[in-house]
Amino acid sequence: MGLPRLRPLPGILLVVTVLAELGAVGLSWGLESAWDTLFNALFTLLTVGTGVLILSRHPRHAVGWLLCVLGLANALMADLPQGWGLRAAAEGWAGGPAGEWLGLWAFFLQTPVLVAILLLFPSGHLPDRRWSYVVWLSVAGTAIVATGWALDPDTGQYFVGGRNPYAVPGLPTDTLFRVGVTLVAVAMVAALVAAVNRFRRSSGVERQQMKWFALSSGFLVVALLPAGPLWTVTPLVHPLPVIALTVWPVAIGVAILRYRLYDVDLVISRAFTGAVLTVVLALVYVGSTLVIGEIAGGGSPWATAVSTLLAAAAFKVLHQRVQRRVDSRFRPERHAALSRVGEFLEALRAEEVEPEQVVEVLRSALGDPTLELRFMLQPDEPLVDERGRPVPDGLDGARESFAVERGGITLGQVVWLPRTEEQRALLPSVVAAAGLAIEMARLRVELRRRLEEVEASRARLAAVADQERHRLERDLHDGAQQRLVSIGLALRHAQHQIGSDSGEASKTLDGAVAEVAATIDELRELAHGLRPTALQAGLGPALRELVSRVPVAVEVAATPDRYPPDIEAAAYFVACEGLANAVKHAGAERIALDVARHDSRLVVSVADDGMGGADADAGSGLLGLSDRVAAYGGTLHIDSVRGRGTRITAELPCVS
Amino acid sequence: MRVVIVEDQALLREGLARLFTDGGHDVVTTLGDASTVVDVADRERPDLVVLDIRMPPTYTDEGSRAARDLKARCPDVGVLLLSQHIETTHAVDLVSRPGFGYLLKDRVLEVGDFLDTAQRIADGGSALDPKVVARLVAPAAGSPLDRLSERERRVLELMAEGLTNTGIAQRLVVSERTVEAHIHHILLKLDLPESGDNHRRVLAVLTHLRAVHERS
Repeated sequence: MGLPRLRPLPGILLVVTVLAELGAVGLSWGLESAWDTLFNALFTLLTVGTGVLILSRHPRHAVGWLLCVLGLANALMADLPQGWGLRAAAEGWAGGPAGEWLGLWAFFLQTPVLVAILLLFPSGHLPDRRWSYVVWLSVAGTAIVATGWALDPDTGQYFVGGRNPYAVPGLPTDTLFRVGVTLVAVAMVAALVAAVNRFRRSSGVERQQMKWFALSSGFLVVALLPAGPLWTVTPLVHPLPVIALTVWPVAIGVAILRYRLYDVDLVISRAFTGAVLTVVLALVYVGSTLVIGEIAGGGSPWATAVSTLLAAAAFKVLHQRVQRRVDSRFRPERHAALSRVGEFLEALRAEEVEPEQVVEVLRSALGDPTLELRFMLQPDEPLVDERGRPVPDGLDGARESFAVERGGITLGQVVWLPRTEEQRALLPSVVAAAGLAIEMARLRVELRRRLEEVEASRARLAAVADQERHRLERDLHDGAQQRLVSIGLALRHAQHQIGSDSGEASKTLDGAVAEVAATIDELRELAHGLRPTALQAGLGPALRELVSRVPVAVEVAATPDRYPPDIEAAAYFVACEGLANAVKHAGAERIALDVARHDSRLVVSVADDGMGGADADAGSGLLGLSDRVAAYGGTLHIDSVRGRGTRITAELPCVS
Repeated sequence: MRVVIVEDQALLREGLARLFTDGGHDVVTTLGDASTVVDVADRERPDLVVLDIRMPPTYTDEGSRAARDLKARCPDVGVLLLSQHIETTHAVDLVSRPGFGYLLKDRVLEVGDFLDTAQRIADGGSALDPKVVARLVAPAAGSPLDRLSERERRVLELMAEGLTNTGIAQRLVVSERTVEAHIHHILLKLDLPESGDNHRRVLAVLTHLRAVHERS
């Protein structure tokens, strides 16, 4: 669909119509009600204008041509002749009665066009070829009516001259009129049935278009119903038919050209809400005025004031409710979708659901089980799903994306496959309603990801530290310690070389060797603290060796399972710290040390019968332990009640 | 005594060789890693092979694995494992065989004791480093070792180290009869059978100690 282009033939038709209407208005001005003149001109111009607009977009659209023809016929055969007739009669020109005569019956010719529009709207094609009989029926009926009406001598009252110059006396004009009207009525009813059928069967775009049509037709009825009985009572209703009839071609144009731009359901719903509210508030106002008037006396300013207040209060109370009721009736999908989102938000506030579930809510509210919610965490990073996993960029197939924004920040996008225009129109308001949940979900995704990054980096740091300790320990054993032994051996060799008779020198060397031996001992202890070499044989042996240095009875229960080295090291240090705590601070007499695998977790626990009251925050030992365990994705529990001992339990994940 | 030395660090290797040579022993050959030691020992039939535990390529337990293989091929050859650190489980496990010793490396600095121990192993005896023994015999509350007197524990330690009654008597500067009386009491208190054979006795003591150790 390109830009609208004015095409030659419709352009000419428009120009002709405008000229004709200018003429008609000029001729009739002052000779009939100004309303009549202007309304007819407005209706004609709007009709042709709409037709031309439709043709500029859809050059072959039957409804466009029909509207052009309708307006043009109205201008040339009704408005212009009627104006001529009036003016000619007033000025005494020739041909006045002929103009009046044309104006008398030519407007009947619009009937088949209206029937055709009813049948052809909105596609420009008949629902079925057989419906063309209806058009022909209306043409026949119109011809008969026009003949009967045009040649009827009784129509003289509508002429300025008081008589119909073309009347044919003796013709059964009344019969012709009745027959014609019946045929036209049948054709009209048939066309209406066709339109109603089309509406009921329509879906998607066509349904939206039919709704516009129905809206304007409904408005027409609503506007014309009070106009009839009140016409002679108040001139206030005189503009009503004008407005109603002008709305009709406009609605047809919007339906064909702009159905996407406006939410017809919204317009219908708001219009209906307005109508209901107006009636109810009017009743409240009138009722209250009458009642208070009875009590306080007629014409009391109190009655007006109180009634106004009451009406205002009623408006406040009723507006939302009526709106919701009307929405649920006229916009059922929208209502259902929004109330689903609303229920979800309620549940979210009550902490019954997780914000991430907003995806499922959007899926069911919008009727697309494949709908995805992609979150944007950083503008230059790939989008992620609700679990924080990156999703491939781009769309596959007919899927569409919709940017989700809130408070000027882009939260991400909805990727989905709308099947109908209604669904597409529904998305923005549903997403807006769910905005809070989407933002929460995004924040949680971001938080979770940051946490994962922190945990991963902490585990990496811990692993690096472990490797470093391991390397240091080996360097001490294999490097410095061995070197010291070599030096000691060299000293011993020197001692041997100088012989046993050099007592003083030999004593000096003995002292030096003793120093070397002490240094080796110190280094060994240092290295052991860095990373116990006993861990090479496994956690069980290492722990048994550990408890052999504890001056308190320790019961060790350990299976011979092996775990990843860093996990074993972490478990070992939990045991170390737990034992140290039990011996140094708790004054325990018995300690139980348990190591066991539970599913994919290694559980280490140190329980003592000491004084209890240990606190992870108080001592840096237990706090450091907690950090160390957490670094490997584990958890540390300290269960310590004063006087009832302490149990330190660490759970470490182990995949092996 | 004919000795083969297996040690990856050249300086230490030479030092050990000199130590044995200075002590009047014959160093048959020295090796830089454990890959050929079984073949060399099979060919040379030395009295003793001195093995470092941590050696290339992985620096973990090449020495102890070579020691097992060697013992399987040449049961008569004495094996002395040198370790950089105290480790009870492996040590006890290995020394539970005749002609096997496990010492910390810095023990070589006490030349006299070290050569005596080496000779004992070459003669089919056992040797366990005193530090390892000390850890095994450490008094834990509730352990049967609690029942031993200070003197008896010391005797037990020396037994565990692999010393004979004579050796223990010399070390403690007491008569052999006193040592025998202590050992009688110890075995009684630990519910162990009496045995004249020194190695069998050491074995029983070690097995018991290890059991006590693992239970605690």
